[in-house]
Amino acid sequence: MTKDGGEMAEEQKKKPCRFWIWALASVVFRLILISFPGNLNLSSRPEVSTPLTSIRRLAEGYWLKQASMSPYAGSMYHGSPLLLSVLGPLTVQRIKGHSFLLCSLVFVIADVLSAMLLRGIGQKLQMAYGLNARLLGVLKSSRDKGILPCGDIAALVYLWNPFTIVSCVGLSTSPIENLAVILSLYGAVTRRVPLAAFGLVMATQLSLYPATLTIPIIFILGYGLDAPPLKLFLQIRSVEKEDTSTSAVSKQAKLKPNTRLPFLWKTVVHFVFWVLLWSLYLLVLCGLSLSKYGGLEEMFTRTYGFILSIEDLSPNIGVFWYFFAEVFDFFRNFFLIVFHVNILFLLLPLAIRLKHRPCFLAFIYLAICSILKSYPSVGDAALYLSLWSLFVNELTDMKFSYFLFCGYLGISLLSPVMHNLWIWRGTGNANFYFGNAIGYACFQIVFVVESVSAMLNHDRSLRKSNSNHREVEN
Amino acid sequence: MTTTEKRDEKEEVKTDDGSPKIKSRPIVQLGIFLISHSPVFSVVFSAAGVLALLLLPLLAKNTYISENALMPGSARSMLSNRDVSGGSKLVKDIKNHEGQGVEVQRLIGQHMSEMGAEIYYQKFHPEGNQFHPLRFFSGPDSDTLMGNVSCASYGVNVAGIIRAPRGDGKESIVLVTPYDFINGGDYEALSLGIASSLFSLLARVTWLSKDIIWLVADSRYGDYRPVAAWLSEYHTPSFKVSDLLKCDEINTSGSFRRAGTMAAALVLKVDGRSERFEDTLSIYAEASNGQMPNLDLINVVNYLAVHRQGFYVKVEKVVSLLSSSWLKIFGEIFEAVGKVAHTLNPNWNFGIPVADYLEASATLASSLYSQALGIPTGPHGAFRDYQVDAITLKVSPRFPPDSKARQHDFFLRGAQLLEGTIRSVNNLLEKFHQSFFLYLLTSSSKFISVGVYMIAFALLVAPLPMVAASLYIDGCNVLTKSTSNPAENLKSWKWLGAAKQVFALHLMGFIVSLLPYFICQVPGQHSPTNRSIMWVTTSASLLLITFVTIPGCSPFSSRLHGTKWAVLKSVTISAAFIGLCLMSIINFATAEIGALLLVPMCLMVRPIKPDLRSRRMKSMLRALCSMVLVTTGFPVMFFAISRGLTGKGLVGLSLGGEFWTWLESLWAWKSATYLYIGMVHLPCWLLCLCILFNPS
Repeated sequence: MTKDGGEMAEEQKKKPCRFWIWALASVVFRLILISFPGNLNLSSRPEVSTPLTSIRRLAEGYWLKQASMSPYAGSMYHGSPLLLSVLGPLTVQRIKGHSFLLCSLVFVIADVLSAMLLRGIGQKLQMAYGLNARLLGVLKSSRDKGILPCGDIAALVYLWNPFTIVSCVGLSTSPIENLAVILSLYGAVTRRVPLAAFGLVMATQLSLYPATLTIPIIFILGYGLDAPPLKLFLQIRSVEKEDTSTSAVSKQAKLKPNTRLPFLWKTVVHFVFWVLLWSLYLLVLCGLSLSKYGGLEEMFTRTYGFILSIEDLSPNIGVFWYFFAEVFDFFRNFFLIVFHVNILFLLLPLAIRLKHRPCFLAFIYLAICSILKSYPSVGDAALYLSLWSLFVNELTDMKFSYFLFCGYLGISLLSPVMHNLWIWRGTGNANFYFGNAIGYACFQIVFVVESVSAMLNHDRSLRKSNSNHREVEN
Repeated sequence: MTTTEKRDEKEEVKTDDGSPKIKSRPIVQLGIFLISHSPVFSVVFSAAGVLALLLLPLLAKNTYISENALMPGSARSMLSNRDVSGGSKLVKDIKNHEGQGVEVQRLIGQHMSEMGAEIYYQKFHPEGNQFHPLRFFSGPDSDTLMGNVSCASYGVNVAGIIRAPRGDGKESIVLVTPYDFINGGDYEALSLGIASSLFSLLARVTWLSKDIIWLVADSRYGDYRPVAAWLSEYHTPSFKVSDLLKCDEINTSGSFRRAGTMAAALVLKVDGRSERFEDTLSIYAEASNGQMPNLDLINVVNYLAVHRQGFYVKVEKVVSLLSSSWLKIFGEIFEAVGKVAHTLNPNWNFGIPVADYLEASATLASSLYSQALGIPTGPHGAFRDYQVDAITLKVSPRFPPDSKARQHDFFLRGAQLLEGTIRSVNNLLEKFHQSFFLYLLTSSSKFISVGVYMIAFALLVAPLPMVAASLYIDGCNVLTKSTSNPAENLKSWKWLGAAKQVFALHLMGFIVSLLPYFICQVPGQHSPTNRSIMWVTTSASLLLITFVTIPGCSPFSSRLHGTKWAVLKSVTISAAFIGLCLMSIINFATAEIGALLLVPMCLMVRPIKPDLRSRRMKSMLRALCSMVLVTTGFPVMFFAISRGLTGKGLVGLSLGGEFWTWLESLWAWKSATYLYIGMVHLPCWLLCLCILFNPS
């Protein structure tokens, strides 16, 4: 992550050429790492591949299907049947002794695509930021001077984040899940409703948790992109009315002087329609591909059922496996509900508080899902960290940045050591690894809390500067 | 994770000092207090850390048998004279065939099968330890070198298995006796005698519930390699036919036999004559990377040896420390304090006599040293890689090897000791787990557990986050004042530049530690000195390239304006802190010794120029101090100094050769110490150098 930091400083110099050099370098770096897989052995690390994302399990599922058995037989594979049909044939191809070379290439392409989409999202957000800043009078010049190119930064953070690299080289399917999530956000930001719906449905199909993104996407489509709270604009307008100045003509200026933002019901209905259509389409496809092996019911119990009932208790960087390994069987259902409701409880308050910043809301949802997921991996962290860097302009004053950085670094180095101590040396035990997982969860929570409070502080400071501005004018 | 919590408080403070006074919580106030007085506290904590290290011998606890199932010494020995005379006969036969490698192997094999064991011979290739740069933590190697082995040099292990009458063949206990079949000495043959006596007893007892494997390891190529080769074959069967099978001198066509998971392993060696009146038993326990077998195994052996068989049990110690005068002064002080405390309250009995203190310190130092080196102290190290608890027992008899009368008694006692140990291990229902894995020995019956020795380390590294936080605050304040451009108001991201530099140097450290692998691939024969010169030149050119390509990295660049060093030092200290904490989990002893070097260096180092310019006594002294610390902190320099202290003074190029050989041994044994030196110590040292020569 030091590298990312370096790039952020580099990016301030605004050299568009640099971006492409670094992006290309990241691809080359991935290809180099892919060329010697045996030495790294990343695909067997619990931090990288979970039961849901492991390519070995996918290969096993594909093999079962080829042998005319249900791919879900034997609790090996738990992913989507569509992923099986797409990636499965690639797993059996062997090129020069590398068994998963083609899959790795697919993941590299997925990473690059995600980065490009992130860049697109970032450019939109940057424009919106500039527009809003000018409307509020915070930014005087018409040029976007002093605004960081958040799209480039986010794309490079995604490409050079060690977590992304590790999950790409370590053959987990999370690059594809991340691509689907980013695709849906991109569709929403660029107001391509069918694309947004497709991304959302695909992401939900692949890993269930992105279903929470429905709320932010509806907000983006209904209310528009991230902006400071409406109250600020109303204040400005009232000042402008007094001055009877008719300067900026924008869509914000066309607002009626009520306290509510218009909600574009039509687009949202359109979106819902497309979501239904795509889900139907995917269900039909899944049904066809599993028609001989138990159909959709089998799929739902073996994928979503597996995610929700936490059947696999092998260690990962989450906090669920340890708890459910310890809990008594007759309490199991109760605690399953308690643990999963955690995410649902957080959805509504956050949606109310951050409804003026839907993209940021999406980031917060993804981060919370990554903490409270049943089988998290570092790929999830890679996703939300790069989404976070879309908001560098707003979050310049984030507290504890150095502390969090050291924490993430320390935890990610400690995790393999603890695992080694427990599994290979036998001198440690499960508590060592779980302690590390708790530490990781704590740092993530601090990260989320600090991000939210930095964002709210940013809004507050805008209001303050705004009122100062007015006082000066009066 | 207590240290992280501490960090947490400290970071909270950072935010508080900018914003208007919010009523802060007591814990935050404590954090502010600690940070604002960080120089005082860092001196206090570091001194306390060193003192705690010196106090460790006093805090050692007596060992105790933690696992109830072991019940050592509760059964009467069943060893008969017939068993022992069988052993004596084997030794006599071996002596008759001395020097005829194959004959001796056949003889041993025949002897085993006469006792009713399943026997087989295993051929192995002597060279196995090679440097794989990326394979430090991936567990035992699965791939053995199969290609182009020659028949010129290979060894043959002989192994016999007794199947337990009450077992299901899923567990086993291993007994290893290394023996050099070509030129084995008289003493070495005695270990075969002891093992044979024991084996003949175990072949007929009814209580055995774990299979017994007796491995006679061919120690022609060192003790470790044959055992490692046998273990790797045992655990990871290869389905290719080895070329070695064709080199037929002895019939090894019989298949490799196994006997389930190993509960414990004992390596028995007899060497030299005891200097004391009693027979001496030395226990060696350190495996690779400072791993120790379960303490219960040592306890059982120690208990039986001392209380049943009357051996004098000892553990390796640094003899030179016994006569060290400064340690003696400390011992006297501690003794005096202990006496005073005892008079104040008769329940306070922590004082120990000076002689005991010296003895314990010498043993502790040796224990720390062999753990820090990360090189196993005997063939038992090979077992630890497969999570098998193992120790090496080195027995020195008090009689010359040819005295027949005493030999019988020696065999009897040795075999009884092993019988008792095996009987205890045989009782186990699970693998060893009850007692400690992380401990340091101060004598064969005293240990320091992880909970105690970690305190010393924690105290030593505690100043690091404190000083880092205080420097961070200072550096940020200075930077905020110095930046004139208001657009560049990335308030909380000022550390990024420094982090880039730290990262670049750590990356360089990583590459430098991989370089020896490529230097070894350079064709042609090179002396260690030449190789070390190659290494130094490539590393130096790499360093130059780093300084040139990454602006702001070099200590001499003009772009680096003077105020930045505080943030750089803060990031350096954080990196050192993370590195040391990680290392303390991987290998405590390395981290402790590394912290003793790194912590004062990181804390003391400051730009030397303003200090020299000011020409005041205090600042000159400070500059001198940091110079000295940075000089001794250089790994090669420290190596030279430690060599000089042990009486092997080296200068010039021969030092480079020595250092290379030393490092080669480290990576050949996959010691994490090597990684630590390359990836934590060296970059931090370079960063300290950068700070030292910072033009401010």
